[in-house]
Order: sequence, then structure tokens, then C-alpha cells
Amino acid sequence: MLTKKEVEKIAELARLELSEKEKEKFAEDLSSVLGYIQKLSEVNIEKVEPITGGTNLESVIRKDDETKCISDSPMREQILSAAPNREDDYFKVPSILE
Amino acid sequence: MNLSKLTIKEAHKLLERKEMTSVELVKAHFNEIKKRDKDIHAFLSLNEEEALEAAKKVDKRISKGEPVEMLAGIPAAIKDNILIRGNKVTAASKILENYIAPYDATVIKKLKEEEAIFIGKTNLDEFAMGSSTENSAFEPTRNPVNLERVPGGSSGGSVAAVKAGFSVYALGSDTGGSIRQPAGFCGVVGFKPTYGAVSRHGLIAMASSLDQIGPIARNVDDAAAVFEIIRGVDELDSTSVNLDWQDYWDSPLDIEEIKIGVPREYFIHGLNPEIEKNIKSVISKLEKEGVKIEEISLPYSEWALATYYIIMPAEVSANFARFDGIKYGYSTMNKEKKLQNLFDIYLKSRGEGFGAEVRRRIMLGTYILSAGYYDAYYSRAQKVRRLIKQDFDRAFKEIDAIITPTSPTTAFKFGEKTQDPLSMYLADIYTVSVNLAGVPGISIPIKEVADLSVGLQLIGKNFDDVKLLKIAKIVETING
Repeated sequence: MLTKKEVEKIAELARLELSEKEKEKFAEDLSSVLGYIQKLSEVNIEKVEPITGGTNLESVIRKDDETKCISDSPMREQILSAAPNREDDYFKVPSILE
Repeated sequence: MNLSKLTIKEAHKLLERKEMTSVELVKAHFNEIKKRDKDIHAFLSLNEEEALEAAKKVDKRISKGEPVEMLAGIPAAIKDNILIRGNKVTAASKILENYIAPYDATVIKKLKEEEAIFIGKTNLDEFAMGSSTENSAFEPTRNPVNLERVPGGSSGGSVAAVKAGFSVYALGSDTGGSIRQPAGFCGVVGFKPTYGAVSRHGLIAMASSLDQIGPIARNVDDAAAVFEIIRGVDELDSTSVNLDWQDYWDSPLDIEEIKIGVPREYFIHGLNPEIEKNIKSVISKLEKEGVKIEEISLPYSEWALATYYIIMPAEVSANFARFDGIKYGYSTMNKEKKLQNLFDIYLKSRGEGFGAEVRRRIMLGTYILSAGYYDAYYSRAQKVRRLIKQDFDRAFKEIDAIITPTSPTTAFKFGEKTQDPLSMYLADIYTVSVNLAGVPGISIPIKEVADLSVGLQLIGKNFDDVKLLKIAKIVETING
């Protein structure tokens, strides 16, 4: 069973704010799922190579094509205007350094 | 003639013969939507004006005697986690409630080239996380077969739209069963292609090594027609694969050459006995027609769901870091301006913007990937995933397809599984292995149980999608 403190730690790592009530509910929910996935400890995985993706393709590259975004000015404008706070062509954030 | 029940092929013929216009076809579907979508709630947004404009263009070409593409002038509903430039794309989440897509998904670009008509964006579990569409941040979708039941999920809106006559076909996405399970619950065809067959560019990512876009349709021919348009390599999705695809419409398979496997691990406790009976009855019909049936074993099936609930949340926790309240989406940045630093903006924007299931999965993934647990969970799961894939590789050396139920139960009632996340996860027990192995899977409707739809799942070999569709067509025909 995860403790409330552990849930708080995970939520902080995940950058999620939780209410007090949610912390208790999440401790319960996460513990039940973690209990279920413990099942995997039954499997003998000696000498098995991990699968790291959905295909066997490796290191696929493509040309950096500026027409895809940067020179498409309506698209560029739309992307920037979706920001909650912008200044000219920049995303604006609160000052980070004191 | 009821225009809202036509298949793609039927509609295409009527358009070609000038017995119906695309405008008439589109209007017939909007009429159904206006009559019944207030009860079903398949759509999050509608596109009536643009749809009619696009229909007029197709009609003009037909009236000039120009040949048109198979999908031209025919209505499609699109799951609201797929981007159509200039349209809202919410993923049924508060965090994207007002977000406008700045570009077209590759599948949308391909459908536009065909002059397909987009009638609206369909409801889903928030970010495709769920099996009932109850996790939509807006309103759940109801099952058109029985309004007291869930339509399944996460592509519940797309599936309900096709079943209810709101659209001729739809696109969905499938990470652990999100096309096939709702297709089974609502009695339509739902196809998840091989991972890498269809570009994921412009699909809002959930778990990137598992997600795949696929068609939902009234029959196998229609699903194949849509698949043949949307498939193909795309330089904007580095996991899409370049292949010379077979043509679905060329020579059919010889029934007596087909070998189908029935995995004993899928017919165990937890499976509704009526569903089992109906699947077995289809199997004996196939055998009578000359299909060779073999019992097979997929020994690692038992660990598929546990593997899925490690790999999927791990990928979710990484993918969802992009929602930060800085670049787009819901943000608390402009509230209580003076009190905030960057850390608080992250915490509050994400805490308030994401629903409970999304936060649960992000936290689960964060925990699984955190220092000290990585080897015990994630690394182990990647190895078991290999074993699950090898089960399928071994089976497909001997057989052409595998038959299973799509789900262990028929559509459940609202609220039945929302309190206990694990019970909801078990709804995907027969579908997740397919995503872990990357293989294609299709659900087709068979006989109903107590007036509720039942889905039969057929699983095929990697990139043998066309052969799987041809076998599905045979099963559909023999089932009658």
C-alpha cells in the first residue's frame, strides 16, 4: 500500500497538484494497480531481450524541411497564438532567476 | 431509401449513377444527428457548413461527368484526438477545450485528397484513456443499441456515430483495444492495423509504441476501403513502414486453404458463457465451410494486461510532459499573476486541466520509471512484451489468423466500473496483447446476446493486414 507521503512525492515529480481527498483515493487506486502488475514477477525473463519500440526500424532520419512549419506563416502564427502568454514571436513565462 | 444506413460502396455507386447527390447524403446524416444525438452524444463538435460546401464541390464534379474517388462526397466522423487544421481538437479534455489544430494529421490529408466529407469530431475517453467513454471531460456517449449501456471506449463516439447512422464510417485510435472493444459493444466493424501501417502524425499521442489509427465501418469491405486510403509510409512518422501493399479487391482467398487458430487461453473463466457459445458456433460454421481450425496456445497471454499497465503509463508519463500550461492549452498563468512561479504554473495547470484517469496514469508511469523501480517494472515489462510477441510469431508460422472474443462481456451499465479502475482495465483483457505485439486485429459483429452486441476478434500476422481483412470478410459472410 502506498502511503499518502509517497503519493505526494510522485505527484510532485509528475507536476500534478492533488487535493487532500484525491491523495487518499489515488493511494488506494495506485496500490491496487501496482498490486496487479506485480504479477510479472512470476515470469522467467532470463536471457530475454527487451522490446524498446513498436517496430524493428532503427534510426530513421529525414531531411529538415522548413516548408513543414517555419515558412508556413499562418501555421506559425496559430501555434504562437495558442500560448497563454506571448511577446512577439516568443512564449512568455514568469522570470525564473531572482 | 434510408440514406443514413448506406455503406461506402452503396453510397459511391448511387453518387456515380447520379441517383443521389452528396449534399442529400450529408443532409440525411445531419438530420439523424439532429434527431438523436442529444440522447447519444457521439459528437463533441459538428462541421455542417463546411461539410455541405465540400459536398457541393463533389456534386459539381460528378455532374460534369468526372470520375470521383471511392470516398468522395461520403461523410466521415473523426475521433477528437486527430487533428483537422482550423478545427477544435479537444481529446475530450479540459486542458485542450479551446485548442485549434494548426495542421492536418496525415490521415486527414489523405482523406482530403479523396474529397471525403468531415461531418464532426467524436467523443472519447479523455486522451483515449478508458474503455467506456465515461472519462470524457464533457459528457459520456450512450450506446445506440441500448441507451442505458456504455458504448465502450475509448473510440465510443466514433463507433456510436456509425451505428446510429450519423456517419457512413469513422476514424478511431487503438492503444489497447479502443477501436475493437467499442466496435464489439455497438455492433459495427472496427479495425486496428499493424503498428506502422498508418501514420500517427497528427494523432494526439497516448502511448507511442502502441497507438494506431484505424477505420470503424458498417462492414469489412468499407473498413478495407478506408484502410487502403490511410495506410502508407510518412516521413512525418518515423515508425511508419514502407511496403508494397497488396490490393484487398483482387482475388479472394480459397476457403479451404485458410487455417485459423483458437487460443485456449482466451476461453477461460471470466468469459460470458453466452459469448463463448456464439463464438464457438461461428467457429463450427467456418469448419463446415472447409476452414481448418486448430487449437493453439499463446502461453504468455496471462501476463499481457499487467505488461500493458506498465508500458502504457510509462509512455503516457513521458508524452504528457508537453502539457505544461506554457505553450498551449489550459493554463493558470494569467490567474493570480503575482503569486506564481513556473513550478506552480505546472502543478496547477496540469492538476486542474487533467481528469482523474489521466492523472492516475501519469502518476503510475512516473512511479514505474522512478529511480529504484525502473528495473523491477519497466525493464521487466519490455522483456515480457518480447515473450508475448514471440507467442504470436510462433503461432503465425502454422496458421493465418486467430479467433477470439473481442471482450469478455457485452456492454456494461454506466457507473458499473468507474469506482474501481482495475475492473475497467479488465475490459481490455482480449485486446491489449495485439497492441503489445504490434499485429493487426479486427472486431466484427456476430449474433447478439440478450439484445446486446457481441464482437468476434480476428488477429493477423504483422503487415498481413490485407489477408486479415479478406479472412474477416469470409467470416462476416459465413456468419450471415
